[in-house]
Amino acid sequence: MSLILQIWLLLLGSLLLAFGGSVTVSVSAAHDSLQTQLRMKNSDNATSLAQVLSQQEGDPGRMNLVMTAQFDTGYYKEIRFTGPGGEALFLRQGWQRPLHAPAWFVSLVPMVSEPGVAQVADRWQPLGTVQVISHSAFVQDDLWQGALKAAAALAAVMSLSVLMAIGVVGRMKRPLDQAVAQAKALVNGEFVTIPAPKVPELARLTHAMNTMVTRLRLIFDAQTQQVESLRLQANCDALTGLSNRRHFLGQLAASLQREDGPLDGGLVLLRVVDLAEVNRQIGYAAADRLITTISQALQTYTERASGCSLGRLNGSDFALYLPVGGVALETGSALVQALRVLLPAFGPHVTVAVGATEVRRSRTLTQTMGAADAALARAESHGPFSVELDAEPTDSPVLRGQDAWRQSIASALVTGRTRLVSFPLIDSSRQLVHLECPLRLRLDPEGPFEAAARWLPLAVRSRLTPMVDERAVSLALAAMAGDDMPRCVNLCAASLGDPNFAPRLRSLLEQVPREARRLSLDVPESAAIDHFEWMLELGRQLRPCGVRLGLEHAGERLSQIDHLFEAGLQYVKLDAAVVQGLAGDVGQTDFVRGVVTMLHGLSLQVYAEGVTCAADADVLWQVGLDGITGPWASTERADWVFGTG
Amino acid sequence: MLWTAMPSQAWDGRRFTAAAQARGPQAEAGALALQSWLERAARQDEKARVHSINVFFNRRIVFQEDQGVWGVEDYWASPLELLARGRGDCEDYAIAKYFSLLATGVQLTKLRLVYVQARLGGATGPLQAHLVLAYYDTPVGDPLILDNLVTELRPAARRSDLTPVFSFNSEGLWQGVGVKSTGDPIARLSRWRDVLSKARAEGFQ
Repeated sequence: MSLILQIWLLLLGSLLLAFGGSVTVSVSAAHDSLQTQLRMKNSDNATSLAQVLSQQEGDPGRMNLVMTAQFDTGYYKEIRFTGPGGEALFLRQGWQRPLHAPAWFVSLVPMVSEPGVAQVADRWQPLGTVQVISHSAFVQDDLWQGALKAAAALAAVMSLSVLMAIGVVGRMKRPLDQAVAQAKALVNGEFVTIPAPKVPELARLTHAMNTMVTRLRLIFDAQTQQVESLRLQANCDALTGLSNRRHFLGQLAASLQREDGPLDGGLVLLRVVDLAEVNRQIGYAAADRLITTISQALQTYTERASGCSLGRLNGSDFALYLPVGGVALETGSALVQALRVLLPAFGPHVTVAVGATEVRRSRTLTQTMGAADAALARAESHGPFSVELDAEPTDSPVLRGQDAWRQSIASALVTGRTRLVSFPLIDSSRQLVHLECPLRLRLDPEGPFEAAARWLPLAVRSRLTPMVDERAVSLALAAMAGDDMPRCVNLCAASLGDPNFAPRLRSLLEQVPREARRLSLDVPESAAIDHFEWMLELGRQLRPCGVRLGLEHAGERLSQIDHLFEAGLQYVKLDAAVVQGLAGDVGQTDFVRGVVTMLHGLSLQVYAEGVTCAADADVLWQVGLDGITGPWASTERADWVFGTG
Repeated sequence: MLWTAMPSQAWDGRRFTAAAQARGPQAEAGALALQSWLERAARQDEKARVHSINVFFNRRIVFQEDQGVWGVEDYWASPLELLARGRGDCEDYAIAKYFSLLATGVQLTKLRLVYVQARLGGATGPLQAHLVLAYYDTPVGDPLILDNLVTELRPAARRSDLTPVFSFNSEGLWQGVGVKSTGDPIARLSRWRDVLSKARAEGFQ
């Protein structure tokens, strides 16, 4: 039984007892008092009557007349006169007025009219005894009326008390509810603090919980810092802070492999020509400053456009990945222009060469890197500060206007040219955690179903992502109704910005509560960093439906999420760039282990995306991952791959 | 014990003794005297008992107005109160005799306290309000008058100085009230009820 319910029962019980007790006492007191008055009246009247009778010189006629007069003009039930031998000499009895009081009340508190008795004499001669009984019915009715009034008055007082109790219990309940809400939030993984209530007992409790949350936050912060330093050690070049070769290539591969990654892009390679010679000429310290200068020049690009990534592949080579196609050469030239101004300060022999290539999904990573290397070699041979583009013929993408795109995406959604594909996310015993379900659209009624990489950027620009995401969720729910398998749909960051999106999703989910509980929704890490409040709102709206919420493509910037512990997420999916090539890379493994420990500490499940080989998977299971998806998982459980091909 | 041997349930000897002890040595001495007197009376016939009780109180108690004894205008003393003080007025005599006779087993219906008008000192003397106890040997006969003015026990016919006005006894008064009524505050409002309650507390009927 809840505490508040107990308090209520106690209050109502006490009030009812007080009510019953008060009514009983008041009725009983009134009864005793009325009874006494009735007795006194009978007694006094008998004495008075006896005195008058004693003055009648024993004349029976006059005495009868006196008694008759007394009876007729008074309120008597009975006047009786008995002789010295006990014989009845006079008897008058009045009619019994019917009672208004109910029978149970009369039997509970009967009003008895005790007879008044007095002696009658003529001089010394005793004549007998007179006995007088007054009516008691009206007293009984008075008592009943009094009881009703007392009950009504006390009921009014009690109602007031109940009203006051409602207020008081409400005041007690509010801080209690807050404390309970905090405790529930802790269970959900939301480590929030609340203002301390004024009630001292609860204040102590809240203080204790707040302290605990604060300590947890400190521990979390410490872990975050630790993980961040591990990440830097594992992924970054110590001098410039740029990604190292392995990490850069991992990022590039993940970007190309991802369903909703960019369709095409650009890769720019920059080499400091003959770094060994430069080192010798200007010294290591100056050479380090040179490298730093170049990395700063490159970083202006990553700051300007999101989705760019930057790496130092080896001592002399830098790489810049651009998430849009057709700008590689232009970017390379601009870079060279900038460096042409900066580098002469380090000496006349310090020069760079730049090779650029377009990145296409149709090519493998190796092919792309090969093409870029070839362009770089050509540029190096052309002399200082030259730029070369890999001259591979482009497979001209279908060029359409924005309106045309918008129309074809919208028409694909409206006419149902949509399909979910699914890939398994499995746990270490190869059991299904859920099916990842990216949406494919058939943009051209005659054409193939195409992955998000092809249409998502345009959907974002056309503000169609809420529609797209809703469709994906509906399809997933429909599929779950059929085969009952847990599914996961990834939401677009842009959708979360639409204020109607979360409520619409909620109403969609509320129609199928059973399926909703088996659905997971992914939100990109970038959305959590840039628009944390959107994600909180999504959580508030959807968590009551039982949906699981998680981050995807996470890892690089996890430590930047200030309030990850308040988000109430269920899982985090580590980006392919973080988990690829883990086998044999001790630093990276340490980083991932740190991330897993930290996230497990927040009661979050940790999954890995885009795992390609069994060796990586083994390491991931060892460091405690809860699930793996990607090509390796799809080959492990090919029976769970649906809708592709 | 003598008292339990008496032909009456109108008496609680233990309670009487205890009440007397509580009232102090004078009350105890009075009570003891009354007890031994009653012991003797109990062996006599009823008329002799009436005579004996009349003599006891008329001899033992000195007449004095309530104002002198109790400091109030009018006070109805219980038998033990009277014995404790040794002084009292007409109603105190009558009341003490009434309860004592009841205690020896005289029936309630034979006894009446009577308000009378008394003419003092012969046919032309002044009139005075007075209270006496009347004993009716038969229900309708001439009663014997127990009086403190004329200490001799005489039938009413020989008391031409007394004009009866109103008579009463405790018949029917306890009806429906119960034994507990000794502490009933309502009883205090009536002098007669009050003295009845006090006598009850002292072991009388």
